[in-house]
Parts: sequence; structure tokens; C-alpha cells
Amino acid sequence: MSFMDSIAAGLSLVGNVESFLALFVGVAIGTIGGAIPGMSATMAVALTLPFTFAMQPITGILLLLGVYKGGIFGGSIPAILIKTPGTPASSATILDGYPMAEKGEAGRALGMALWASCTADVISNLSLILFAGWLASFALSFGPPEFFTLILFSLTIIAGVSGTSLLRGALSALLGLLLATIGLDLVYGTNRFTFGDPNMMGGLNFIAVLIGLFAIPEILAMVWNPTAHVGTARSLGNNRVTFADYRRCFKSIVRGSFIGVFLGSIPGIGAAPSAFLSYSEARRTSKNRENFGKGEVEGVAASEAGNNGVAGATLIPLLALGVPGDVITAIIIGAFMIHGLQPGPMMFILNVDIIYGLFIGLIVSSFFLFIVGTVAIRGFKYVADIPKRILIPAVLVLCIYGVFAVNNNIFDVGVMFAMGWVGYLMVRYQVPAAPFLIAFILGPLLEDNFRQSMLMSGSDPLILFRGPITWFFWFLTVLTVIAIVRAGVRAVRGIPLGGGP
Amino acid sequence: MTERQVQLRLGIGAIIAAVFLTLVAIPQWISSPSNVQRIVLSPLFWPYALSAFTFLAGLGLVFGGLRMTDSGEPVDAPSDDPRAAWMRLAGMAVIMVLAMFLMPRLGMVLTCMLIFVATAFLVRTRHPKTALICAVIVPLVLYAFFAHVAGVAIPQGNFMRLP
Repeated sequence: MSFMDSIAAGLSLVGNVESFLALFVGVAIGTIGGAIPGMSATMAVALTLPFTFAMQPITGILLLLGVYKGGIFGGSIPAILIKTPGTPASSATILDGYPMAEKGEAGRALGMALWASCTADVISNLSLILFAGWLASFALSFGPPEFFTLILFSLTIIAGVSGTSLLRGALSALLGLLLATIGLDLVYGTNRFTFGDPNMMGGLNFIAVLIGLFAIPEILAMVWNPTAHVGTARSLGNNRVTFADYRRCFKSIVRGSFIGVFLGSIPGIGAAPSAFLSYSEARRTSKNRENFGKGEVEGVAASEAGNNGVAGATLIPLLALGVPGDVITAIIIGAFMIHGLQPGPMMFILNVDIIYGLFIGLIVSSFFLFIVGTVAIRGFKYVADIPKRILIPAVLVLCIYGVFAVNNNIFDVGVMFAMGWVGYLMVRYQVPAAPFLIAFILGPLLEDNFRQSMLMSGSDPLILFRGPITWFFWFLTVLTVIAIVRAGVRAVRGIPLGGGP
Repeated sequence: MTERQVQLRLGIGAIIAAVFLTLVAIPQWISSPSNVQRIVLSPLFWPYALSAFTFLAGLGLVFGGLRMTDSGEPVDAPSDDPRAAWMRLAGMAVIMVLAMFLMPRLGMVLTCMLIFVATAFLVRTRHPKTALICAVIVPLVLYAFFAHVAGVAIPQGNFMRLP
């Protein structure tokens, strides 16, 4: 199928009101969800997921992608107006956004955040379109040993960079892998930790685990401290962003977008490190570097470009390799699976219409983000006024309905509650939840590819080193471990990275 | 809890979990055919391997914790009154257990109404009337969507039948 044929196939799938409406609604929900302190883009995507069950696959996935895009931008609104990032990715935006708000330039900061976000979003989406197909065609030659080493590398980097220490990340990933062993054995069909309960034989429901891990701990945190997330919103002020501001920051926006694309395409890194790296690069090279941290509009532009540049790029490993790069794409992979689709290289052959439909939808989402963002900036005070102590019980009820709807099974609601307490303990003990969830999703795939490799080779482990691709991933895995351990040791000793004592 | 205590508790917990899995859970709750010719293909291999890595991660955490200097700075989430906070958490656990018990009997809609009210009052809402109104409306709206749009068979319970 030629490129034009693929685009035509995609267009025929999404060229209807329903798809674009879902995308628009998704961007709006995401922006509101991201803007509410105490919620997050992750939670918004997780809570929207159950509503996609009754939709066509493309419509449901576009809705979730809209929530994702909107959520990442939405997080910058409370970051600037009340010094509370709506999502972790917006933490860097506070550095200059809030000082600007204090100076009465909140409207200008938010306007620049929106323009930078939309520009980065477009660049990120174009990168996705350019690289995902290429990577997928390359991945078609992967066999079980290559997939095993790829997943191992992904889990290593996710475990290493998600939290404060590699060991805590590794522990989280190991617990996720152990949880994924529940159910019938993949080869022999014997019971593993099922306790004779038929509900456990298919393994724990993925949606119940993810909503339990990412929504319920927020509710429990609210129960622990009901007066958290209370802040006073600054007014927008009279200053608005101008085209001259945008032109002055353009270089930082483009640089930040490419930093986001690069870091986003590596599984596990996520938007927050990208935003900080983009910010520090802008500060290093800017003529106004002395103003950074005191309310410099270029700082807002750089950090927002950094975090939004990730949004499209995280879909590169998801669509091309079937490996979710962060928690939100892990939820989106769940939507694919619920609709009977398996992201990965074969999807570029079997479901090319869906792939190109998503590409078209993503390009349009940047335009929708601009419209919704402009309205959201003005309407934030209404969002900030939603009483959190009414919102949280509503979220709990929504979680119960959503999880039940997956399999029409109350058992899944129990799994969600149990995982909620596990997630809350992980928060309290500072164990990152992202490696747990991604390991839980990739666990069966990792084990399956390992056992297939062993079957292929007659149990000779050397098959896991059979060619340049496996060697490449082993090399990256070892390099990642060394880099993370070195960084950890330096952090403990108080030595700056890349420098002597 | 200080950072050092967190690290040590995690490490010790991981070691205990690994030992429990290796000595009790895996032998008891995983069945394997007796004719498995190669150990790496056995249903037991993967869980044992993961337990071994968990044990190593636990050792690493304990070792790291012992080397760590204790700053004495607590890492817990702040709360005005920790005792009341623990009581609220216990209350939330009770609400969840009761929800599981009541859902098949009262149905999902009624149970969710009760959960909403209980949770709103547990977090000491300043808008009790709004909470009560939302407690009725939110479960009903969700019921309407999931039952009539998504086609999900929402449990109705023994006391109330919704269209």
C-alpha cells in the first residue's frame, strides 16, 4: 500500500463527525483534568478509558489521545496560576510561570505556554509519523530473542529513571512481573497463584490494576489530608503574549520540542525530565539567562515545549514496537487491547487504516488544543473552584463503575481496591508505580518471548545473544544500568553530573 | 519515617517476600506437570527467577540503607493530626470492604450513593447539601450511561429495580 493509499484509508476511517467530536471532547476533558490540582493527565486518561468500551476502536483511542494531549497542557495552568503543577511534567513551568503570575503577567505566561505546547505538539506528531513506520518496518525482522532483549531494556530504563533509585524501581518492576504471573501458565495451562478461583485464572484485570494504582491512591491521599491542594489562583493580568514574544522564543521552542521527541521516544523517560532539560538548555543559551527563574517568558516556552514534545513521541515505541513508554501510553495500550488490537510492527500491515487514522487525528488534535486551551485559560477559575471533597467521592464512584464495566465482574472492583492500597503504600514508601504497571503489562510478553526463545534453541541461553540486534539491546541495558548506578552513587556523594568533586 | 528507615523497611520487606515466595507460595500455589523436561520451560522457573531477583533487590536496598546517613528528616506526607488521619484511612478501608459486601445485595447504584455520602463526610466536606445531591445524581447518571449506552449489565440488587 502506498503512502497516499494509507492516508486515504486513514481518512476514510476518521473522516466523520463522531471521530473529531471524540477528539475535541478528549482534549477538553484532558485540559480540565490536567488543570485540576490533585488530578493528573494519567488519572484523566484512566477514568476516561471505561467510556471508550462502547465506542468504535478508532473513536475510543482518539478520545484517549485527546485526553492525553489536553492533560499535558492543562497541567501548566495551575502550575502558573497557583504554583501547583497539574501534572508532574509541568513542574518546570512553575520556575518562571509563577514569578510571571506574581508580576501580573499570568495571561502572557499562559498564552506562551499554549503556543509553545501547540508548536511542540505539531513537531512531536510529525516525528511520530516519520519515525514510527520506519521503526515498525525494522522491527518486523524481530524474533522472540530480540523482543525479549528489547522488553528487558525497556523495563530496565523505566525502573531506573522512574523514581529516586534504581533499586526501588527494580523492586517495583519485579513486583509487577510477579503479579503478572497470576493465572494459567502460558505453555502448560497449569494454575499459578489462582487459589482455585475461576476469577483469577485469566490473570488480574489490567484496567482494575491500573485504576487501582493511579486513581485510588489519590483518593486515599485526600482522605489522609483533606485540606491538601488548596491554593489561591492568581489573576490573568492585562498582559497578553504577542507574536514578537513567540518569535523571540521560537528557537527555544523548537529545541525543546526536539528534546521532547528524543526523550519521549525512549521508553520510560517521560515528560518531566524532558521539560527540565529543555529549560536548562534554554537558560544556558539564552541572552536573557539572568532573568530565568525570575519570570522569563522564554523559560515557560522552553519547559512547555519540552513536556509537550514528548506527547507524540511516546507513541513511537507504542505503535512501532508494542512497548508503552510511560504510564499514559500503558493505559492507551489497554484501550487497544480491549478493542482486540495489538500495537506493534504487525499493526502497520494489518491495521494500516487505524494507524494513519490516528496520525490524522493527532495532527488535528494540535489545532483543537489551541482552541480548547484558549478557552481553558480564561475559565480556569471555575475549574479551580470545584470542591475537591465533592470531586474525590465522584471519582471513586466513577472508578467503581468503570472497572466493573470491563468484565461485568464485582471481583475486579475488589482487585481495584486492593491495588489502590498497594499503590498508596508505594506512594508512602516512595516506590515508583510506573515500573510496576508497565512490568505488569509487559510481563506475559517477556516471559512468553523468553520461553519461545528457549523452545527454539532447545534451552540454549546463547540464543539470547544470537545477532546484532540482541547485542545492541544487551549493550543498551548494561549501559543504562551503569549510567543509573553511577548517577546514584554521585548523587549520594554530592558530586555534580559530568564534573569532578 | 526517615529516608533510611524507608530504605531498610523496603529491603527487609522484599527479602521476606522473596523468602515466603520461594519456600511457601510457589511450591504450594503453582502446579507444574511432572514430565517437564527442561527446567527453563517449567511454570515454576519464571516465578522462582523473579523471587531470586526480588531477594537480590532487597539485599541491595538493605545494604544501601545501612550505608545511608540518617538525616532525621521525615519523608511522610504531612497531616495536621496524624491520629485522625489514620482513623480516616481505616474508615476508608471499612467503606471499601462494606462496598464489596453490599454491592451484590443493594445493587451498584444504591451502594455507590452510600459510598459517595460516606466518603464525602469522611473527608469533611464543606458542602454537605451539594454532596448529598451529587451522591444521588452521579451514580444515576453513570448508571444511565453504562446500562443504556455501553450496554453493561449493572447489578440491580434485591431492593430497587431501575429501568
